[in-house]
Amino acid sequence: MKKTALDYTLKIRLPLILFIILSTYLITFYLSRAERDGVGYTPQQPIKYSHKLHAGDMGIDCQYCHTGVTKGRHALVPSVNICMNCHNVARKDRPEIIKLTEYYEENKPLPWKRIHKVPEYAYFDHSVHVNKGIDCESCHGNVREMEEVSQMKSFTMTACLDCHRNPHEQLQYLEQVNIGPENCAACHR
Amino acid sequence: MKNVSTDKKEFWRSLKEYYDNPETFRNKINEFQDGVTDDFNPDELNKFSRRKFLALMTASAALTATACTNYRDKGEIIPFTNRAEGHLPGTPDYYASHINGKSVLVKVREGRPINIEGNPDHPVLSGRLDAQTPADLLNLYDPERLKNPSINTSSADWSVIDSEVLGILNKCADDNKEIALITHSVNSPTQFKLLEDFSKKYNSLKIYSYELVQNNRLKAWKNCYGNLDIPSISWDKAKIILALEADFLARDDNAIGNAILFAQNRDVMNSTEFNRLYAVEGGLSLTGMNADYRLPIRPDAQFHFVTALLNHFVIERKISFAKIPAAVENIISNYSLADFSNEFNVELKIIKNLANDLLTHQGSSIIYAGETLPVEVHTLVFLLNEVLANTKLYNFKSGFKYYNTATDFTDFKTLSEKLRKGEVGAVINFDANPVYHLPSAVDFADAFSKFANSISIVESENETSAISKYVLAANHELESWGDHQTRADLYELQQPVIAPLFDTRQKENILLTWLNGVYDEKAYHKYLMANFSEIIYKKQNTPVDVKTYWYNCLHDGFVELKNSYTSDGSFNLDNVSLSLPKIDKSNFVVHLQKSYFVGDGKFTNNGWLQEIPHPVTKITWDNYASISPLTADSLGVKNDDLIEIKTGEGNLTIAAFVQPGLPENTIVIELGYGRSVIGDVGKGTGFNANKLISIEPSNYIINKNVSVSKIGGRYKLVSTQEHHSLDDTFVKDFHKLRKIIREGSLEEYKNNPNFLHEDELHLVGITREHQYEGLKWGMAIDLNKCISCASCVTACNIENNVPVVGKDQVSRGREMQWMRIDRYYSGTPNAPEISNQPMLCQHCDNAPCENVCPVNATNHSADGLNQMAYNRCVGTRYCANNCPYKVRRFNFYDFREHLADAYYQNNLSNLIHNPEVTVRSRGVMEKCTFCIQRIMDARSEAIKENRELKGTDVVTACQSVCPTNAIVFGDINDKNSKVSKYREHKLGYHVLEELYVKPNVTYLAKLRNTHSEES
Repeated sequence: MKKTALDYTLKIRLPLILFIILSTYLITFYLSRAERDGVGYTPQQPIKYSHKLHAGDMGIDCQYCHTGVTKGRHALVPSVNICMNCHNVARKDRPEIIKLTEYYEENKPLPWKRIHKVPEYAYFDHSVHVNKGIDCESCHGNVREMEEVSQMKSFTMTACLDCHRNPHEQLQYLEQVNIGPENCAACHR
Repeated sequence: MKNVSTDKKEFWRSLKEYYDNPETFRNKINEFQDGVTDDFNPDELNKFSRRKFLALMTASAALTATACTNYRDKGEIIPFTNRAEGHLPGTPDYYASHINGKSVLVKVREGRPINIEGNPDHPVLSGRLDAQTPADLLNLYDPERLKNPSINTSSADWSVIDSEVLGILNKCADDNKEIALITHSVNSPTQFKLLEDFSKKYNSLKIYSYELVQNNRLKAWKNCYGNLDIPSISWDKAKIILALEADFLARDDNAIGNAILFAQNRDVMNSTEFNRLYAVEGGLSLTGMNADYRLPIRPDAQFHFVTALLNHFVIERKISFAKIPAAVENIISNYSLADFSNEFNVELKIIKNLANDLLTHQGSSIIYAGETLPVEVHTLVFLLNEVLANTKLYNFKSGFKYYNTATDFTDFKTLSEKLRKGEVGAVINFDANPVYHLPSAVDFADAFSKFANSISIVESENETSAISKYVLAANHELESWGDHQTRADLYELQQPVIAPLFDTRQKENILLTWLNGVYDEKAYHKYLMANFSEIIYKKQNTPVDVKTYWYNCLHDGFVELKNSYTSDGSFNLDNVSLSLPKIDKSNFVVHLQKSYFVGDGKFTNNGWLQEIPHPVTKITWDNYASISPLTADSLGVKNDDLIEIKTGEGNLTIAAFVQPGLPENTIVIELGYGRSVIGDVGKGTGFNANKLISIEPSNYIINKNVSVSKIGGRYKLVSTQEHHSLDDTFVKDFHKLRKIIREGSLEEYKNNPNFLHEDELHLVGITREHQYEGLKWGMAIDLNKCISCASCVTACNIENNVPVVGKDQVSRGREMQWMRIDRYYSGTPNAPEISNQPMLCQHCDNAPCENVCPVNATNHSADGLNQMAYNRCVGTRYCANNCPYKVRRFNFYDFREHLADAYYQNNLSNLIHNPEVTVRSRGVMEKCTFCIQRIMDARSEAIKENRELKGTDVVTACQSVCPTNAIVFGDINDKNSKVSKYREHKLGYHVLEELYVKPNVTYLAKLRNTHSEES
């Protein structure tokens, strides 16, 4: 039988190419998993703010700064005047606080780097979760221990559903918790 | 194809002919032609070895892996420096304001208005809106708005313009030369005061105010009663309504208020006593569609009809009324109902029934004439209502407030002459567009274009500003302060909800600058507050101080006043001279009417409004000349043919549309289209019929010297009616046979409430039924109340970020509106019976769309919603194909990019989007979601308050604006809920019930209030 181009491609070339593509894909997929999900993302912030100092050592409540979390969709990054409530007097001579005061007095936008983000097509609402008694750590990790905040958990749909399906297991500290909605329209609209 | 019989002919006429060719057949069997693979030698292919290839691949794979170790940047979060108290990013704020003549609540997210909803506390509108008002939002974000002032089309500084204009005005005052200020009718007390102050400073100022459709009713009222205190009508008390060319449910200035009251007597849940609506009209109007009886008569025969009715009551039935002057009695005594019936070929029986109805319901019926009818008809109608004691339904307490009557078009003609003669020193166009609006007989455009000192204060470029020397960019209403008084007992406030987006100024503030000599950003705000304190606060006798009172009123949006008109019984016809005109029925009559959606041309560049299908013809993006099927036949005219209409006033070439239900030789055209200076969206839409308006007196019904002829050429009109048709087979009355529309008469229902379900099939499913526990969402639409005004369509568009697709795409059936209103004709072309039905996703329990989705992008939720996950959708369109209701919409393009060179895709227009709803991209299917974002908001609110979500917590966008309360939404598992009661009602039915898809939208069958002997 004559060798033809088709035989050659089907028997040798194609399996080889497929194998290489598949193995490259798998290796890349596992190596870059954490990065893709953003786990471990620790960007440099415009002001070296320490959550460990404020929330951990001094024990300021999360909601003192991150207001609105029980009322609306966002856990707001504090407006600069909230920082200035204390730093009008506290530690005014430190370089980072001087920077902060500058932002405040010149009314300059303070561009914090965003760390946690769900995609635009998912509509996450902080208030429904917080009002049900779910604490911040369950998604954001123990921020009280972090000098610089980094993302601790994955924010994928799988991560959402893990908890929505097994809230009793995932949120053992809650005495009473309902199963979260699993229908598409709960988050996608 | 190359191989097809080259020696013979080049083309084939049929597929059979093509495949009969033996050569074609042979070519089809063999994949390759002979000998193609003979020369193949694989060794020649190996330019580099397998090892090398593998090594390269591994290296590149490693590189890819390393490249992926960088984290994706997620952007920045920039907080406020000082967050305003009470404002929470991510949650909307509502502000009461006043847009397009309606009191509204503006929904603002992060400082940008994203929706306009009704003000629920408003005494007249109670939170309901028309289709036009919410869409005004698009005008705010119109990329072609004027962004800065200009002199002779080159942009200039405000201070330069102010000083130049002040120079001109002062010179006029010194020389005592006329300053003409052209504006629309004024209904703002403070603006009125400003104009008065302005004319005090500049003595030679003359104010010309007009509307495209002048209010002949007001003029007639002034003739008959000697004042402007025209009452509103208590439609809720009317048992019999006779509408003469009066589209009081849609085209009237007070249409929403009318519709709210009208529908109260169409509520089958409360009572089985309906009002009865007779519509006597030429063009088929929205009110005519909803009428129990509709008599098509020529619009110029209305005078005859009212005369005949008066004859019937005064002469025949001998109702005595003291104030009929001899002159009027002369006219009416010689023209009876029978004469009318003979002359205009109208069935005498229906008119007799009407007359009897009016007679038995004296004092509880109303005869209402449309604004476009001449003053004489209105005069007779006022007389008729006096004779029948229907003045009891005049609501003087909440009468309409007018500050002046409009300037006659003849005065504008004088102005044109004065402009030519150089007797005018300056013309200020105060937010109007006289060059476009004024009829050609006024001859204004030419005179104005040659005039030097022309000043235009406008929001966006128009025909008048294009030939003005000074063009001053004005704020949109949402950026402006203001007050309005349209009712005697109601004062409304307007506050800005966004700072001016461009270098524009509020139009009143521009005048105020010229009045004071200096500019102050807050000048009109202060002026308004001062006037408010003077005319409102001081008269209200309130214990609080003026500032608190002002803030309270701003919060509410309106003040209920103690003012009221009183009927002084001053009806007097002595100065009125009337005569019965002679009509030649073989002559054509042209009736010019208001447009339903684009207004007087203000909204021609508004894609949302252009794309709402006309309530009757379902045509979008154009106006046209409606003619009756018989007349069309005699002219040899078909749909889309161009016809030429010649009248004494001018000629117009326009596309024709054959409309059932029109009387013979009648042509109906809507105004407001055919703008020549307009943005890209409104360009080339429709025909300018304004020039046909006759001016002495202002008349929209032209029957003198009219000739109509077909000229060559066609113009494509695009109608949505044939799209998404529920059944292909064209059978007469298929909508009734398929039980899409189910109707009866009121009599029938009273005799046998179960008449609708007599021949009900008992359907049995073969699949496992889903159990719905807890909440289950459902909707009910009462077709007795629905008047098909399309308010719901705009509300849905805005709430759900529905794109505008453009005329070309509509012609391909690709309109995107989630809600449509289907219109069905039955009966004969000359007297069609019309049924309307709002159609939206039915959220079927056994949804056929869900089964066919290969990627499970559409599926069912536990609370009964048919969900659509855009991110999963791959665009096979199987679901749309399988949907029996044809309510799914596919994004054939990214329409924001596709329409008019991405007209609506820019940083400005993007601000309009509701951030709670995904903006869908190309290749994705979409449909009504039952406003899932509102459901989720209500759910989060319930969780906040630690309670269960209730069905009544959610109000969908369409439901919230519906003027007649026809839409009900809620939990159908709660047996006490309103929607359950509609669902259980004897008149409730589901469209295409026999498919057993179990829809969750219930329709209440329409009952026609016809006479018992006919049912």
